[in-house]
Amino acid sequence: MATSPIDMPQKVERKMPPVLELIRGNIIKHGNPLALKGSEISAWAKELNLPKTGNLLFYTGGEYQLLPFIDSLVKTMTVMDSNSKGFSMLMGVRNILGKTGFAPEKIYASVLAQDKERFNEVSLKAARILQSLGYDLCYSGEDELYSGALLYELGYWEDLASYGQKVMEVFKSSKAKTIVCLSPHAAEVIKFAYPKMGINHDLEVKTFVELVWEQRDKLPKVNFNKSVVIHDSCRLAREMGVTEELRDILNSMNVEFKEPLRKGTWTTCCGGPNKFMFPELSQTIAGGRVSELQSTGADLILTSCPYCLSALEGAIDKNNRDIIADFIEFLYKEIVE
Amino acid sequence: MSVQKENRSKTMQKEFSEYSKEVDRAQHDENIRKAISRAVKAYRETTEKTMKSYPHTPEMAAEVREIKRQSVEQREELVAQAMEAVENNKGKAFFAKDKHEALVIASEIIGTGKTIVKGKSMLGEEIHIREYLEEKGNTVWETDLGEFILQLKKDRPMHILSPAIHVPREKVAEIFTDFFEKEIEPDIAKEVAVVREFMREKYFTADVGMSSANVVAADTGAFVIIENEGNVRLCTAAPPIHIIIVGTEKLVPTFQDAMKVTEVTWRYAQYPVPAYVNIITGPSKTGDIEKVTTYGAHGPKEFYVIFVDNGRSDMEADDDFKQASHCLRCGGCMYECPVFQITAGTFGETYLGGIGTIWNVFTSGGLEATSPQLYTCLRCGRCVERCPMQIDVPNMILELRKRLAAGEVIE
Ligand code: SF4
Repeated sequence: MATSPIDMPQKVERKMPPVLELIRGNIIKHGNPLALKGSEISAWAKELNLPKTGNLLFYTGGEYQLLPFIDSLVKTMTVMDSNSKGFSMLMGVRNILGKTGFAPEKIYASVLAQDKERFNEVSLKAARILQSLGYDLCYSGEDELYSGALLYELGYWEDLASYGQKVMEVFKSSKAKTIVCLSPHAAEVIKFAYPKMGINHDLEVKTFVELVWEQRDKLPKVNFNKSVVIHDSCRLAREMGVTEELRDILNSMNVEFKEPLRKGTWTTCCGGPNKFMFPELSQTIAGGRVSELQSTGADLILTSCPYCLSALEGAIDKNNRDIIADFIEFLYKEIVE
Repeated sequence: MSVQKENRSKTMQKEFSEYSKEVDRAQHDENIRKAISRAVKAYRETTEKTMKSYPHTPEMAAEVREIKRQSVEQREELVAQAMEAVENNKGKAFFAKDKHEALVIASEIIGTGKTIVKGKSMLGEEIHIREYLEEKGNTVWETDLGEFILQLKKDRPMHILSPAIHVPREKVAEIFTDFFEKEIEPDIAKEVAVVREFMREKYFTADVGMSSANVVAADTGAFVIIENEGNVRLCTAAPPIHIIIVGTEKLVPTFQDAMKVTEVTWRYAQYPVPAYVNIITGPSKTGDIEKVTTYGAHGPKEFYVIFVDNGRSDMEADDDFKQASHCLRCGGCMYECPVFQITAGTFGETYLGGIGTIWNVFTSGGLEATSPQLYTCLRCGRCVERCPMQIDVPNMILELRKRLAAGEVIE
C-alpha cells in the first residue's frame, strides 16, 4: 500500500485567495471581519448603561451591526467585472486594498444611515427583550471582540488559536458564568471550536432563543393577525440543536405559523456561507430558499441568525423587505414596544 | 517569493477563476436547472414512499455503518482474502496501487485493436480508463445510456447515478441524429430504442466486457453490481473476456454483509428494488459433460479483477477522513445539497458534491486543485441528515480547509 503523504509532514507556503486573506487580516488587526471600530459596534448600548461585569454576559460579537457593511463590501468587490462575479471577487480585493491597506471609510461610504441604525438596534432590542424577561445582563462595550467564527470556517485555525485567547480574556474579565450569544455562529465557535483550539473555558454557552424559551411562560399572548414561517438556521438547528424552542415560543404567544417543506435539522441553507467567494451562487441559493418559505403562504419570514437574515433579505426585492425579519425584531415589536 | 510558491499561487488562482466561471455558467444553464429541479422532486417523493414500504431500511443502514467501519480496519486482509478467492474461483486478481498501475494492468490484458463494452464506473472516470484504452488503439463503448450520451457529447457526468441528468431529451435527439446520421425525434422511448438496437450487436461482437462493482464480498470473491438497464448483464456475460475494476473501499467481509450493503445502497439511491442485481464470482463454467468442469460456457472464459487503491489507503489511514470511505455512492446527499441543486456536478470534479470533494482530494487531484470545491461547500450539513452512512462531510471540509491554510500537502 502507498505510504501516506500525511505521515510525512511536508509544508508549503501557500497564498490563499485574497478575499479570505482580507477577512483574516481584518479580524486579527481590527477584531472584526470588516475592520469597523469597536466604538461603532457598541454604540447601540449607550442608553442601557449595562455593567461590564455580572453573571450573564450579553454577547453580540458585532455580527448584526456588521450586516449592512457586508453587502457594501461584496458590491465593491464585484463591480469590477459583472460577467463573472466570482472571478472578479478574487481579483477585485487587490484594488480595494490600496497602498495604505484596507480603507473602510472608502468602501463603506455608500452604507445608508437607516440600515446602520436598523442593525444596530437589533442588539438593543435583544437586550431589552431579555431584560423584560427578568435577565440581568452585563456587556463588554467597546472591548467586545468578534468571536472569530470566520477564522474557523475558512480554515485559519492557527490564527483562531491565538485570536480566540484574546476574546476569551474579554469574556473572563466580565466574570460571567453564562454567555448569551445573539448569533448561532458565535455560540458554535465558543462552545465547540474554542476547546478544540486549546482555548479552555467553563462558560455556559447559550443562544438568545434558548434564554427566551426558558422564560416563555412570561411571554404575553399577542394578537398577531398574520401568519409567519420559520427559517431554521443551519447552525442553530444542527450544531446547537435548537429547533422546537422557536416553535414553542410562537405557540406561547398564540402566533400562528406555517412550516416549509424543509425545516428543523432538514432546513435549507440560506446560501450565506459562500457569499464572499461565490456571491452570485450564494444569492441564487438564497432566492431558492425564499421561494420555498413563501410557498407556505405565510406573510412573514422569521429567522434567528444574522447571516441568514442578510442572505435571505438580499434575495428579496428592496421594496418588499418587510416580508422578512429577525426573530429579535419580531419579538420586540410584539412584546416590548 | 520563491519560484515554487509563486507557481503554487498561480495555479490556485487559475483553478479558482476557471471554476468560478463554470459555476456561474452552470447556474444560468436552463437545462441544468430544469433537469435538476425535476430530479430533486422525484428523488424526494420516491425515497419517502420507498422508505414507507421498506421501513426496516434505516436500521439496516445502521448495520451497514458498522460493517463498513470494520471493513476499513481490516482493509489489507480483506484485499488479500478477496484476491485469493478470485484465484480460487479461476479468475485472475491484480492489485494496483495507483491510477497508472491500474491502467497498465488493464491495457496489458486487453492489448490493442479490441472492442470493449463497458458498464458505468466512477472508478473508470477517476482513472480515465476509456480515454487510455482508446489511446492504445481500442474502441470502447459506454453501454449505460447516460454515459453513452456523454461519450458522444464529450462531456463529463453531472450526477454519479444519472450522469446525463443535465441533458434534456431535445438535446439527446440532436446528439443522436448527428451520430446515427438519421433523424431521431426528441421522444424518450425512441431514443432508448435506437441505442438498444445499436448496442445489441456490440455486446456480441466485443472482445472484452468491463464493469465495476458496488460491493465485493471478500470471503467468496463475489462482485455485486446493481443496475436497471440490463446493460451490465450483457457486458458481463456476452464477451469472452471480462474485467472488473474496483476500488478497495468496496470490500466487506462476507457475502451476507454484501447483501445488506447492496439493499441499503439501492434503497437510498431511490429504488424500491432495482431491475437487476448481478453477482459474479468468476468465469462461466459447466460440468454437464461427464462432470468435467470446463471454463467458458455461455459467459466469459477469462475473468480478471483489478483492485485499485489510488489514494484510498491514505484516506482510510487518516482518522479525520476514514469515514469518507464508507460512502455507498447512493447519490442521496447530492439531491439534498443546496449548491448541487443549482450547479449539478459543476460542484465537483470526478466525484461530486461535498463527499465528492473529499474523494477528489485523495483520489483525483489533491488538496490544492480541489480548493475551489472546498470553499463552495456551505457546510450546512443537510447531506449528513440524508446520508445512510451519516458521513460528517461538513467537518471533513473544515479539516481540509485548515490543512490548506496551514500549508499542508495532500497529493
Ligand atoms: S455520502 Fe452518503 S448520501 Fe452521499 S453518496 Fe455517499 S452514502 Fe450516499
